[in-house]
Order: sequence, then structure tokens, then C-alpha cells
Amino acid sequence: MRDQKEHPYVPKLKQNFAERKIDRREFLRTSTLLGVSAVAAYEFAGRIEGRSLLPKASAADLPKGGHLRLGWRVPELDSPHTFAWGGSEFTRSTCEHLTRTGPDNVTRPWLLDRWEASEDLKTWHLHLRKGVKWRNGRDFVADDVIWNLQHVLDPNTGSSVLGLMKGYMMNEDGSAVWDANAIEKVDDHTVRLNCRNPQLAVPEHLFHYPLHILDPEDGGVFGVGANGTGAYEVVEAAIGQKVVIKNTNTHWWGDPVHLDSMEFLDLGDDPNAELNALISKQVHGVSELNVEQLPLLANIPHVQVYDVATARTGVVRMRVTEEPFTDPRIRKAMRLATDCGKTLELAIQGLGVKAEHHHVCPIHPEYAELPEMTRDPEAAKALLAEAGYPDGIEVTIDCKPDPSWEIAAVQAMVEQWKGAGINAKINSMPSASYWDIWDKTAFGFTGWTHRPLGVMVLALAYRSGVPWNETAYSNPEFDALLTKAEGILDVDARREVMAEIQALMQEDGPIAQPLWRKSFTAMDKRVKNYSPHPTLYYFADLLAIEPA
Amino acid sequence: MLLFILKRIGFMALTMLAVSVVLFALLEIDKEKVAVRVIGQYTTPEQRALWLERNGYNRPIVERYVSWLGHVAIGDFGRSVRYQSPVADVLWPRVWNTVILATYALGIIVPLSLVLGILAGMREGSKLDRAISVTCIGTTSVPEFASAVFIAALFVFVLGILPGTSSMADGFNVLELVMPVMVLVLYDFGYVARMTRASMAEVMTTQYVRTAVLAGLPYARVIWKYALRNALIAPFTVIMLQVNWLLSGVIVVEVFFSYKGFGALLLDASLSQDVYLIEACTLVAVFVAVGTQTIADIAYTYLNPRIRFT
Repeated sequence: MRDQKEHPYVPKLKQNFAERKIDRREFLRTSTLLGVSAVAAYEFAGRIEGRSLLPKASAADLPKGGHLRLGWRVPELDSPHTFAWGGSEFTRSTCEHLTRTGPDNVTRPWLLDRWEASEDLKTWHLHLRKGVKWRNGRDFVADDVIWNLQHVLDPNTGSSVLGLMKGYMMNEDGSAVWDANAIEKVDDHTVRLNCRNPQLAVPEHLFHYPLHILDPEDGGVFGVGANGTGAYEVVEAAIGQKVVIKNTNTHWWGDPVHLDSMEFLDLGDDPNAELNALISKQVHGVSELNVEQLPLLANIPHVQVYDVATARTGVVRMRVTEEPFTDPRIRKAMRLATDCGKTLELAIQGLGVKAEHHHVCPIHPEYAELPEMTRDPEAAKALLAEAGYPDGIEVTIDCKPDPSWEIAAVQAMVEQWKGAGINAKINSMPSASYWDIWDKTAFGFTGWTHRPLGVMVLALAYRSGVPWNETAYSNPEFDALLTKAEGILDVDARREVMAEIQALMQEDGPIAQPLWRKSFTAMDKRVKNYSPHPTLYYFADLLAIEPA
Repeated sequence: MLLFILKRIGFMALTMLAVSVVLFALLEIDKEKVAVRVIGQYTTPEQRALWLERNGYNRPIVERYVSWLGHVAIGDFGRSVRYQSPVADVLWPRVWNTVILATYALGIIVPLSLVLGILAGMREGSKLDRAISVTCIGTTSVPEFASAVFIAALFVFVLGILPGTSSMADGFNVLELVMPVMVLVLYDFGYVARMTRASMAEVMTTQYVRTAVLAGLPYARVIWKYALRNALIAPFTVIMLQVNWLLSGVIVVEVFFSYKGFGALLLDASLSQDVYLIEACTLVAVFVAVGTQTIADIAYTYLNPRIRFT
């Protein structure tokens, strides 16, 4: 472990942690990012804190075999690199990722063996794990990684990975990779990324869910029988019905995975159906619980409820190319007309925290605390008048009823907006239809999942021209600040830039954001080795189920 | 009689044809709209023009209709956007599932409501009649979405003896049909029973029944031999209407219990504006409606010689 070159920042990081300037999670996160292996980082943290922090991996005493079934919506899964809602649930253990961010928010190598970052964070060496094989027996090599990276960075593919990597891998207008040598093959097991700008979160980006490592021979198309490196293969897939993945007992890591097979059963748009199925033991877990369903599970002996604090949220997103939202004053008026505290209470019974309209969460390490932006309908009215709407505006907000808190939040805010002369009609549409227009409609409410870093979500959603920029927001000042923040390793220094970005979002940004929520899910107690991930991901290769 | 049957079937075909014209006019005259629904709301005009040309939408409207009708007639409804597969592959298994559900429901509704209706109608105004009538009106007035929640709460949450959803994930399981059938029966049997009761009560006041009673025939024999056959003519038509309702009107029950049937498909198709799937579902629903009505008409003349036309 010692033979590899240590990043120059690592000693300072250790010192900061020893002096308690940063917390344990931040230490683990950053040191593993810089190439310290997770085991070594945990050991070091354990020495400082005087307790062993190695996660217990007692795979030996987990039950073997069995069929695990979850209630889960089943969308199309033929193009993993362009997944935009769900989908990766079925592919996470069939074609895998280069890294994994665990339930503890720490990113570790997965198909990689380790990585190294240069001091300026512009050169990243990705060392592939040796001995990894595709299910069809072929060796997993650098060319496979290069093909996948090139595929997701090709604007014609339309992958959201482009948004994350645009700042450091793409040219100025995002039309192509910035340099022919940007993704460079060093040898069969080493890939070098030569970045245009410094980037801190490369390993976390490699776990962005559409960045599955697909077999280049499949050309980006996935489905029943497709190749992959994971232990499971898809044996059955029908949109709106179910997906079944089966253990092929060929996993590269040697240890056989526990389950024989796993199934995702689509139980339709009624959120209570999954719950009813769980209670009557028809499924072993649900995709997610709504807050109002929690009391129903209180007295069910065979069900375990899990909760996890997250940076999951929903945003009132205003498309800046559509009237009346082209005017930043209107957008700010929407924020001023919103009462975050009340919305939090009404939509999720206070089980979360208030948001501040800038999409950076207090659990993000670089979050900067700003003065609270409280509801001020008079100021909102004044802004509307200034923008040429003295009598207020009439708008229609698109949203979806599933999960149920989203529409509850929209209803609460629509009432609040009335006080500022903003009359919004609610257009509730089925989830599948909403996901057809989420990045096009003028005015909508979109759910965003958790990302481990604040810069990650901003890069995905608000950088100019990236695929998931649902609001068409394009602000050179914002882009420049974000690129700057992405290159700063020191959290305190990064926080200073974040303060500017957050203030800019509040003043000019394209969203109003009421709340951050906790996530809840439930599993049958027979399901073993499950720990809730902030994004409610699960890993099929870790789960086990006790025989009934 | 044969001529009459042929006439009815001809009339049925004519109705279907008329419906197909209306359906086609509503959904496909505006070809731009079809392109939007099939290839997406935010495609460019060029992409849509290309798609329309490639799929023959630039032909004259009559030619398009005839070609569409030809395809529909051989069961080719096009490709479902939502399910990414031929409509027929999605449609027929769903129809079959609903037929199964409807068969079980009817198998209970018909005997139950006929027996209750006859018992009530035999002695109009008796205590038995009152009790049955109150029960029937009570159950019929509880809507399906309410009774589904009550029944699920009772059997899944409190008693824990029935499966909570009916997705048939492990293959056909009759237990999973219990709750959906229960909801349908509760909602529907009262109505059929009331209809039967009214018909029975009317027959009981006719002169031939009175004569038979006064002539000293045993009461049971009067009921069995003279009253029943005549009293069942009206309920028969009502029951045929229930077949129609059970095949295309059970959306609430199917969605609530995740039953993969025709009603849930109809809802899914309309919500996702899956135009070819909507067309197929509508045609199937109309076919069932017209078909049951034709059967009812034919059977009616057979049961009631007075209205035979030939």
C-alpha cells in the first residue's frame, strides 16, 4: 500500500483531521478521492478516533441462494448511458461502475484498483483492477473504459455524464472532447485523464449512475442477455411489468454473490400497491416510502423501516428561455413568494430541512451558510411590477403525483404564491409523461436525487448547455465560478467560492427550492446486508435473503 | 330466426365501422398530433415531417383510413410507444386477464343476485324483502375506490390473510383474485338483485300467477314453473350489461390491486397518450359493448316469443 505515490495534500488532510478541523466523513471522502485506499483511510481515522471503523464484511455467515423481489417501476432499459430516471437499479450489478460511492458517502474503487491524482488535480491515472472478466470470458481492459468514456462524452449520445465532465473534459462549447489526448491509454490496465481544468470529484463522477461500463461490442445497447462485468445478467425485461436478473456465478471477485436471482416488479402508479404487497409478503422491499405511509408500517412485525438523511430535493424549475421566466426578477419573485418552512411542514411533515433556493445542501461538505431568504410577498410583488407585471402573473406548473410529497409541496407553494400575485394552475401528470417533458416545459417541479458533493449537482443541472440543464440556464459568471470551485481541494477555500455561487443562484438562478428531505424505505426483515444509501441505491451483489 | 341473427350481426358490424370512423377522425386526422405523440413532444418539425412521410401519413385521408382499417381487421394495431412493442402483444394478454377476473366476478354476482332478487320479489314488502333491499342499496352505494381501501385495510393490514396486490407475479394465484372480485361483487350484486326483484315482483302480480295460486297449485310449483322463467327475462339483459362493465369499466379495481388487466391498460394508454394503444383499447371496448348487446338482443327474442320479428 505504501509503494504508491501519496498525493501531496494527504499529509495536510491527516493533520486537519487529527486537529479536528474537518470531520471524519470529510477526511475519509477526500483521502480516498486522492487515492488512499479506503482500508488505509479507515484505519487512519480509527487510530485518531481510537476505534476500529472498518465496516464489518461478514459475508461468510449470510444465507446463500434465494429469490429477492422488490416493488419497482420498470422503464425502458435499452440505453443505460442515457438513463434519466431509474433504470440503473437493474443494471448496477449487471454492468458495473468504475467506482462505488457507499452508503457512508465515501467513494471507493470498484472496477478500478486505485486512482492517483496529480497535485494540480488535472491529471488522473485510473488503474484498472486486474483479473476482471466480462461475463463472456473476455478480459476487462483499458480499451473498454476508453470506449465507454468516449461514448458518454459524445454529445450525440445525450448522456448526463457530459454535464458532470463538461468543465474539465470538453471544449468550450461542449461539442467535443477538448483534446484528442484527453482520454489516454497508458497500458492495458491504465487510463490517464488529461483534464482541461482541475477537477476534484472525478471518482464520484465515475459512479454517476448512467456511467455503466458496457461492452463496446454491444454499442451502447443493453437488454436481455447483454454482456457486462457484474455477477448478474438480465434474463427477463418487460416495460411496465418486471425485470429479472439472475446470478451467473461468474463474478470476477471470486466470492460468489449470495442471491440466486432478483426481480423488480412494476406495481403501477398507485404508491400504496407496493406497500400492500410488502405487508402481505408478496415483495421483500419497496422502492421508497412516502412520509404518510410510515405510520401504517409501525406495527408490522416482519418489516424493517430504514431512513437516511439525504440531499434529495425537488425544485420549482423555470425555463429561462420561456416567458415570463426570461426575466431574472420574475424568478427571484417566485423565490421570495415561497415559504420554505411551511412547505416543509405541509409536504413532508417536517421530516427534512429547509432549503435555500440554491441547490447546495447543508450535508454537502462545501456548503456555505448564507443569511436566510425568508418569504416576502411584498418584495415579490414589487419585483413583478418592476418587470412589467403590476397585476401579477398567470402560469401553469407541471408536476407529478408520485412520490406524493411532490404534489403536496406544489399545492402548498401555489397557495403561498397567491399572496404575491402569482396565480399558478397545477397540471399533475403521470410520472412517465412528466419525465418526457421535464427538461423542456416552461414551468415544472422536478425531483432531484442526492449527490455527494454540491459542485456535482450544480454541474449536472445548471452549467450552460449540459443535457440535464432542464432550465436552459446559461450564465458565464456561474460557469466560471463553478469551474473554479471544482478545482479547489481544500474544503474551506472551496466554501468561499460556493458562497458566491449560492448567492448568485438566489439572486439570478432558475429555481425556487423549498426543502431537503429524508428518504425512507422498507424491507422485509429477511433481507440481510442492506444499508440505506442516500440515493436509495442498493447493490444486488451484496444483498442476501433468509429462507422463509 | 336465422335472418334475424344475421341482421343483428350485420348491425353490429355497421356500428363497429361507424365507431372506427369516429375514432380515426378523432385521433388521426391531425397527423401532426400523431407524430408528436409517437416520436415526442419536442422533436423538430423536420423530424416529424420525415416520420410522417416514412409512415405513409402523406397519403389522402381515405386511403389512410382504409389501410388502417385493413391492418386493424387482421389484428395489427401498430406499435405501442409506452411499451415499446406491438400493441397486439400487450393487448391480448391484458384482455385475457380481465376476462378471468370478470368470469370469477360474474360467477358470484349472477347466482347471488338472482337468488336474493327472487327471494325479495316473491313477497313484495315482506321483512325478507326489506332486509335484502336495504343491503343491496347499501353495498351498491359504496364506490369501488372506497370499498377497495376498506377491504384491503381489513384483510391485509388487520387480519393479514390475503395478498395485498394481484400482479400474479408467481403465476396465476386464485387468492390474489379474492379482493378484486370481492370489491366488484359488493359494488354490483345489489344492482342486479334490485332489477331481478322488480321483475319478479311484477310477474307475481300477473293474472296467470294469481290464477295458478287460486287454482290450488303448491306455492313452490307456481314459482318454479310459472313465475321464474318470465321473471328472468329482464335480469338477463341487465347481466349482459354487467359483462360489458366488467370488461372495460374496472379501471379503479385493477389499478388499486395492480392487476395487469385491460382496464389498467386503458388508463395507462390514455395517460401516456399512446395513440395506437388507445385506438386498439377503444375498439376492443366497443366490440365488447356491441357484442354483449347483440347477444342480449338475440337471447331476448329466444326467451320471449312475443317479440320475435320473423
